Amino acid sequence: MLSKRHVAAEEEIGIDLAPMLDFVLNLLIFFIITTSFVREPGITVAKAQAETAGALENANILIAIRGNGEIWMDRHQVDIREVRAIVERLHIERPDDMVVVVADKTAKTGILGKVMDEVKAGGIKDVAIGAAGPAGK
Amino acid sequence: MRLRRHFHSEEQTGIDLAPMLDFVMNLLIFFIITAVFSKELSLAVNRPGASTGQSAGSDTGSIAVAIRADGEVWVDQRTVDIRAVRANIERLHAIKPEWGVMVIADEAADAGVLVTVVDQIKQGGVDNITFGTASLKK
Repeated sequence: MLSKRHVAAEEEIGIDLAPMLDFVLNLLIFFIITTSFVREPGITVAKAQAETAGALENANILIAIRGNGEIWMDRHQVDIREVRAIVERLHIERPDDMVVVVADKTAKTGILGKVMDEVKAGGIKDVAIGAAGPAGK
Repeated sequence: MRLRRHFHSEEQTGIDLAPMLDFVMNLLIFFIITAVFSKELSLAVNRPGASTGQSAGSDTGSIAVAIRADGEVWVDQRTVDIRAVRANIERLHAIKPEWGVMVIADEAADAGVLVTVVDQIKQGGVDNITFGTASLKK
């Protein structure tokens, strides 16, 4: 009898985890809802500033063009001819996603135009040019 | 004593939440790490009929803006300073409110100039911007 009472007392000491679980589950749900799974290009480029640049919904596929003409998407350097196939695959996975082509200030518009054409050929009609915000945001 | 034992047995039937909490915590950490809160800022522009190379909108015209390889900007067949693009677009937009803007950039022009020009056009009140590339001659 004495040992049984001892066990009962030990159980009383443990913290009730149910309220904590509720709290953590709420946090989890919040993060699941707000997560957007952006396809980062994997590099940073010096974007030109624009006053009218706005954040677009579903701007989840980013393609970066470096000053030397290298194209990066999904953390890999890709050839211009690969862009179309990758965009096609991503478009099938998530049809609502749109593409932002982020070009370096010193990148050539010829490459920018070609990349935008490849994206369109890949099936995504909404293409925008990336820019930095007014205060360099 | 009987009452106490009854209370004790009720506690035993409750599910142990600790493993579930561990699991949920791990999920939470995963989502916190993968969450990206920074939205990419961008300017929406159209591309002309791409591979077919047809001009945008045959029934309505468009204001022509050209960017040369050296960064020189031409609006409506006159060279203008890059900071004056906005004023020129405002004027032309007032004359032809239904017209869009066609930006034709030389393939060797810098993308930075293009973004600045598109920004100026948007500030001038025109949102229907088409961006085409070509090799412009002297």
